[in-house]
Amino acid sequence: MLDCPVRPTEVVLSPMDDNTGIDWSAETPEERHLRFERDALPFLDQLYSAALRMTRNPQDAEDLVQDTFAKAFSAFHQFKPGTNLKAWLYRILTNTYINSYRKAQRQPKQVSEEVEDWQIAAAEAHTSSGMKSAEMEALERLPDSDVKEALQELSDDFRFTVYLADVEGFPYREIAEIMDVPVGTVMSRLHRGRRQLRDLLADYARDRGVKVPDGGETA
Amino acid sequence: MNCEGPDCEDALKRLYLFLDHEIATGDCDQIQAHLDGCPDCMDEYSAEVLVKSLIVRSCAETAPEVLRERVLFAIRKITIETDISEA
Repeated sequence: MLDCPVRPTEVVLSPMDDNTGIDWSAETPEERHLRFERDALPFLDQLYSAALRMTRNPQDAEDLVQDTFAKAFSAFHQFKPGTNLKAWLYRILTNTYINSYRKAQRQPKQVSEEVEDWQIAAAEAHTSSGMKSAEMEALERLPDSDVKEALQELSDDFRFTVYLADVEGFPYREIAEIMDVPVGTVMSRLHRGRRQLRDLLADYARDRGVKVPDGGETA
Repeated sequence: MNCEGPDCEDALKRLYLFLDHEIATGDCDQIQAHLDGCPDCMDEYSAEVLVKSLIVRSCAETAPEVLRERVLFAIRKITIETDISEA
């Protein structure tokens, strides 16, 4: 039933790196099961929140999280203790989403921006249009529902890159591994995603009657 | 309030690296010093910090209890199936 969701080269056990001092090969299946419940289950809320950003609806998010944990559990003997379990789970979540849910949702494949130079995006991302305190306060007062809606308007790739960086605080290198793209692509997606998000949030604030200058224009 | 000098350009170009703790300490100090002395760039930085905090604030859902039970059930089922197939 399982296609291994993890690229083997990155989970190959290297006993040299495992500084836990424990002989994992002696672990019984029961012990491994308990270790999985103890170590992986605490990420349930985080993975659910991430899954909601991916699937956009609670039912699919629940199914995705259940599938992710089932796959992770089945592959848990490949996980190297002492390495980043959260990143490992996120990689399985992302692969499961791409392989099952995105296909099922029949979303058109998003136009690839992979070739973009992140530095070009970086140069375009910021202007000193000077968001002043009144506008900042307006954004701050936006309800969570507006922020989530704005996030959903981003493309899958942009939204999830921003999510991994901002909510989970993963370093670029780990986001690149989770999403299986070069670090430059992560940076490019972050710049464009955040730029779009800021413009959208400013639109929402404006819709709520707050005066916010157009983004991207130097005042 | 234009902010177009080379220092600003450099700081703004590396603003996300700074925001995301992705730059070396020396460069970090350099950008920090620029932001401290340049209100426009500081505004831009503050806006990014704000947007980041809005996202964090909005994306903190708790999984429904039934999902926890489903997950526990699913992995126990895998254990049982594995036991049966190995028996």
